[in-house]
Amino acid sequence: MNSKEKFIKVIKENAGLIYKVTKVYTNSREDEQDLYQEIVYQLWKSFGSFRSESKISTWMYRIALNTAIAHLNKEKRKGSYIPIDELLLNKPDLNDTLKEEQVEILYSQIKKLDTIEKGIILLYLEGKSYDEIAGITGFSTTNVGTRLGRIKQKLITQIN
Amino acid sequence: MELEEMKTIWGEMSAEIEKQKKLTDSLIIKMTQVNYRSKIGKIIVPEIIGSLVCVATALFIFINFQQLGIWYLQVCGVASAVISLLLALLSLRAVNKLSSINISNNNLKQALSDYSKGKIQFVFVQKLTFYLGAVLMLTILPVMCKLIDGVDLFKVTRLWMWYVVAFPFFRWFTTWVFKRYKKTIQGAENILKELAEA
Repeated sequence: MNSKEKFIKVIKENAGLIYKVTKVYTNSREDEQDLYQEIVYQLWKSFGSFRSESKISTWMYRIALNTAIAHLNKEKRKGSYIPIDELLLNKPDLNDTLKEEQVEILYSQIKKLDTIEKGIILLYLEGKSYDEIAGITGFSTTNVGTRLGRIKQKLITQIN
Repeated sequence: MELEEMKTIWGEMSAEIEKQKKLTDSLIIKMTQVNYRSKIGKIIVPEIIGSLVCVATALFIFINFQQLGIWYLQVCGVASAVISLLLALLSLRAVNKLSSINISNNNLKQALSDYSKGKIQFVFVQKLTFYLGAVLMLTILPVMCKLIDGVDLFKVTRLWMWYVVAFPFFRWFTTWVFKRYKKTIQGAENILKELAEA
């Protein structure tokens, strides 16, 4: 298997991860598609230098989050990207309307948090341990714990 | 909704996402290629063209410097050439900065810190470019009139009077333009402060 084939396999296996990061860090469909492609591009650019010292998902989260931050700091570049059908971005098909509504509420509340908080809560909801979150974000484990406590409080107040 | 409930909803949504395998090989390949071309075309090329124009202007002035003759036109000539070269330098520096932030090795904290510092620096450069551009507009006009048409604008018009009239307007315009940068700087400084506390 050559590196392009390996890369395609990795992207297909972790497409959901990219989708969730783009969903949390963007506010429009157009922006979502732009960021999705930017993340895939950045992953491909760094794929050659990936050493299996860390888990592939840890490496992907790190690049996806950094790309999202870079994306927030760039000016809009309309028309730079290929149009993608939203369905191809692994949008979940939730048959249950109530569940779909709950997911939308959850996303909308997360989007209200600041850049750092969004990253930390995303990793927490993805089931990452405090140590793993600290490794990806660069904050100390204690600091991750403190921040998570504040984020939880904030989210609960926002939702209820 | 409690946090555990949020985690459950998130987990169910993630499971649904995992079930879907809709991305195609060709789409993944296309995503990497289109982005690369757009990056080269949309950011770097205009900056390089702008720099080349500035360098060409400076060269044109230096080559024809003797034709300026009188001291005040020569002063304007030197100022225009130096500003043009400075603008070219700032532009090329901006291009270089684009690739200096390491997305693959940085963590979230480092990336945020780099971008916040970059933003503050960007606003500084924007301000500098704005001032330099305004001065260039004033100095290059008499120089080009002399070099292209052989006319000394200071003798045939009351150009200096326009400079005096334009100054207060420029001062007001600058304050108005820079007001919008205040929020950007403040936001970046707040992030840096928060990161320093972590």
